[in-house]
Amino acid sequence: MRRFTPLLYVLPLALLLSGCGASLASDRHDVERLMLIQTMGIDRLDDRLHVSVSTGLGPEDDPALVMTASAYGIEDAIARLQNYSPENQLFYAHIQYLLLGEQAARQDLSRVIEWVDRSPTVRTDTPLVIVRGTAKDAVTGASEQATDITQRLASLDRQARSIGWSVHTLREAAAAISEGDGALCLAVETAPMDQTIFTDDMRSDAIIPLGYAVLGPEGLADFLTPEASFGAELLTGDPTGLLITVDGCAMEVLEGSAKLEGAYGPDGAPTGVSVRCALRVGVLEKDGDPTPEELDGSLSRTVARWMTDALETARATRCDFLGLKKALLTTDHALARWGNDWNELFPTLPVDIKVDGIVDRSYDLPE
Amino acid sequence: MDELITRKQFAAAIFVSLLSPLLRLLPQTAVELAGRGAWLSVVPAALPLIALGAILSSFRTHMRPGEGLGGLFLRWLGPVFGRIVLVLYAAWFLFYGGFILRSGADRLAATIYPGSGPTAFIVVTVALCLLVALGDLRAAARTAVLMRAVLVGALAAVLALSIPNMDAGRLLPIGWRDAGSIALGALPLASVGAVAGGFAFLSGYVRPAKNPRWLALSMLTLLVLGGAICAAVVSVFGPALTHTLTYPFFIMIRSISLGDLAPRIEALVIAAWVGADFLLCTFLLRCAHEALRPVFSLPAPEGLSMFSPRHGRFLLWLEAAALLTCSLALDMPPWQLRAWSDKLVPLISDIMLYGGYVLLWLVTIPRRRQERSLQRRE
Repeated sequence: MRRFTPLLYVLPLALLLSGCGASLASDRHDVERLMLIQTMGIDRLDDRLHVSVSTGLGPEDDPALVMTASAYGIEDAIARLQNYSPENQLFYAHIQYLLLGEQAARQDLSRVIEWVDRSPTVRTDTPLVIVRGTAKDAVTGASEQATDITQRLASLDRQARSIGWSVHTLREAAAAISEGDGALCLAVETAPMDQTIFTDDMRSDAIIPLGYAVLGPEGLADFLTPEASFGAELLTGDPTGLLITVDGCAMEVLEGSAKLEGAYGPDGAPTGVSVRCALRVGVLEKDGDPTPEELDGSLSRTVARWMTDALETARATRCDFLGLKKALLTTDHALARWGNDWNELFPTLPVDIKVDGIVDRSYDLPE
Repeated sequence: MDELITRKQFAAAIFVSLLSPLLRLLPQTAVELAGRGAWLSVVPAALPLIALGAILSSFRTHMRPGEGLGGLFLRWLGPVFGRIVLVLYAAWFLFYGGFILRSGADRLAATIYPGSGPTAFIVVTVALCLLVALGDLRAAARTAVLMRAVLVGALAAVLALSIPNMDAGRLLPIGWRDAGSIALGALPLASVGAVAGGFAFLSGYVRPAKNPRWLALSMLTLLVLGGAICAAVVSVFGPALTHTLTYPFFIMIRSISLGDLAPRIEALVIAAWVGADFLLCTFLLRCAHEALRPVFSLPAPEGLSMFSPRHGRFLLWLEAAALLTCSLALDMPPWQLRAWSDKLVPLISDIMLYGGYVLLWLVTIPRRRQERSLQRRE
């Protein structure tokens, strides 16, 4: 009997095996009734937050379920969305892309970051994309029978990464912003498909990359032009694979690096920044018959201008998305002395940009 | 008391138990005090822990075979004052256990069980703690050895998988001017380490050893892990965001995936931490019992069947009830729980475990000298 006594203690636990009751875990869901949200868009329109979601294509290419609801808060809007899907539980743990409309990015970025922090489901490494216009248009407009916003964004994501663009996550943006620096984030806009594709009845919208959006502590500060985005990418990331067009010649960046160096006064104050960029490109397509020297020169000048544009945007918006503060204030002494005055120092700091561009000779270029 | 816990098992019990408060306080509280240099706070945190270890080691040399810290307190402080002090320690252990359960429930609700109430978690854990506390302490110690492998493995995997998200630039620059804040950042780690001092009440069940290297190694590993956790989280989120996030370490885990094999692993890791809560509460329950046993002159509860009421074992039921009541009574909103967790609870813990032990060490200097001279004469 003694041998079986422990079994008597354990057996009552078997009563719990049938599953958790609502009192134990109010957030429990049956797997077969979960509707996975794959893309979420947030907008601010008419003083209300609009949350638009897309479930992605179904297992047998069933069309995506696209929904939108508005309220004064994100959670409230999410609760409203659930009202329209009584048979299925909307599940946000597998969001693959988070879109922020322009106005929401300007006003509600910190609110979105806080919501993700408190949400036990949404991942902080979800790619964040800023939509010029509204995210609602992107989420609802990009879906049709055979495709949806998630597929389009996944394709854009792959394409962007393959040509050297960076796709930033919410965590990266939040970390940079919370440190008082700025952050870059992929910016897109919608464009009607039927202006480009004529072979089918294409009524949905395409998602077109615009370059980068600049996020500061207050939210969206500005959009970089595509050229300035290239300049920013050259300064902050790995530009290998970037496609650029200089004087009508299409080029691919084969190798590139930018080095930032500070000049300091006797009191240790930064007095200037020099940027030295080395760039090696391959010509893919040319316009006319430029000589290699001409191409080298125009490449260097053009890329320097793009970098200057990026830098000027950083100064104008006071968002240090290029990481100049970290590059210049490398010691704890410098950081303690000048870190707090950086916003005053940054816009007046002279910057000297020199680009050493070399065009790799293409087969049809004259030597 | 022939069957004793080995030093290795005791070290594992302390190590696993401390992982629970470690992740409650780190990295947030350390970052709040030390900023980006929080990961270096492990160095100054070692100093008070070494001092505490030296004091406990000094106490240990005066303990009689089978005697825990409770018996020693009673012998040194006298029947009245000794009993008052022991009741205070027992109350603290039960309160702390209740708080650990409440904060563990809050952690589960905030991370993987949104909207769930804490009652089920608390009641089930207290019931399990009581079952284990009623049984042989060696079983709990052996469980700790297994749990240590699971939790250290989980931590190592989490830290390794987080490397792609880390930016070492967020940890620097650090200079001498940060020394003050880094020293302050040691406070939470030192408070967590002090809980190990409470386990000295169980030392009567631990096989004596001349060289306490396992304990020292355990504490060293804990400090290194604490530093690694701070470094990992700060390099992923930056110091400012780390301070703002609710459970930054667990939010970091939320972003880890094993490719398509397991897109999310946070539920597994967070659930594993329940084991640390459970073991800490079990040992705190036994610490409380060991503090109260000399008060009521009760024999050791070992060697009897689990539900035998002899040797005052009914007291364990009352202690478990007190633990449960305390945990349920700590019904407060998460922000208040965080304030208690960051300030009030570590403060009381430091007073009881650093302050109390140092005071005892000081007031018993003449007594210890007298005992030492008697030993020499013998």
